[in-house]
Amino acid sequence: SMSLSVSPAQTAAWRKQIFEQLSERSKREMENFRHYEQAVEQAVWVKKGTM
Amino acid sequence: MADDKDVLRDVWFGRIPTCFTLHQDEVTEREAEPFYLLLPRVSYLTLVTDKVKKHFQKVMKPDDVEEMWFEYEGTALKWHYPIGLLYDLHASNTALPWSIFVHFKNFPLQDLLHCPSNSVIEAHFMSCIKEADALKHKGAVVNEMQKKDHKQLWMGLQNDKFDQFWAMNRKLMEYPIEERGFRYIPFRIYQPTSDRPFIQKLFRPVSPDGHVHTLGDLLKEMLPAAIPKDNEKKKYQVVIHGIEPMLETPIQWLSEHLSHPDNFLHISIIPAQCD
Repeated sequence: SMSLSVSPAQTAAWRKQIFEQLSERSKREMENFRHYEQAVEQAVWVKKGTM
Repeated sequence: MADDKDVLRDVWFGRIPTCFTLHQDEVTEREAEPFYLLLPRVSYLTLVTDKVKKHFQKVMKPDDVEEMWFEYEGTALKWHYPIGLLYDLHASNTALPWSIFVHFKNFPLQDLLHCPSNSVIEAHFMSCIKEADALKHKGAVVNEMQKKDHKQLWMGLQNDKFDQFWAMNRKLMEYPIEERGFRYIPFRIYQPTSDRPFIQKLFRPVSPDGHVHTLGDLLKEMLPAAIPKDNEKKKYQVVIHGIEPMLETPIQWLSEHLSHPDNFLHISIIPAQCD
């Protein structure tokens, strides 16, 4: 039967640390600045039609 | 457990809050208010600052407006380096927003390349991708792509479209399983006060005897001073995308997940913060 295995890379400390630091980075660099304008506007696509 | 794909998104959607101020040497007709913007870490200054240009041009005479360029604490900022790299290299650990001066005259020719249009940025970006693919796959992947595929990579970056970019970029990240990685890792190591712009040499992700190379192995070979000796206080920070990955991190994984859209791993070595 098939079994799901977790590779050593997925549990490694270096990997966990990268995830944690990226989330800290978001807090540090973005949390207090969400009111700033984005340099690149995201185009909004409005799809019209009937189901 | 979080997925490795989340890392790609975090890297792509990184933003640097920035305050642009017109330099005092510039002549204006009215007072110029500062301009605040969230800059994508993975993009280029001249690609994402149309709004800054418009904002300041409103208070200037057309005759006083030449090519726009940017300065941070006396350093002219190279538009052909990704924004996140410029910030990590010159302004890590400083208070946000990042405070940048805007200039419209006295273009520093000795420090900066001219950037008359977005097509110059596109050419630079594509040449980086080609160089990276030459290192990773002897150029085979990029050469097999069609013109429209190249455009897809560029348009994805230009318009901040993660899915559009990665639908194509994943091909540049593939390798034969039995080889356990790319042929060579495309990387560049930068220091804020170095005479040479960066260190770039050939480096394989796996040693001939099958040992997986790490970030530490790379630095040991390229810039040993960046690694703290036993019992010694850390002298340098090794920064990629605003974080400090552990030296045990496999370099192949870093190349696949923390490379910039130009497919290079840009590594900043900066003096450590005194606690």
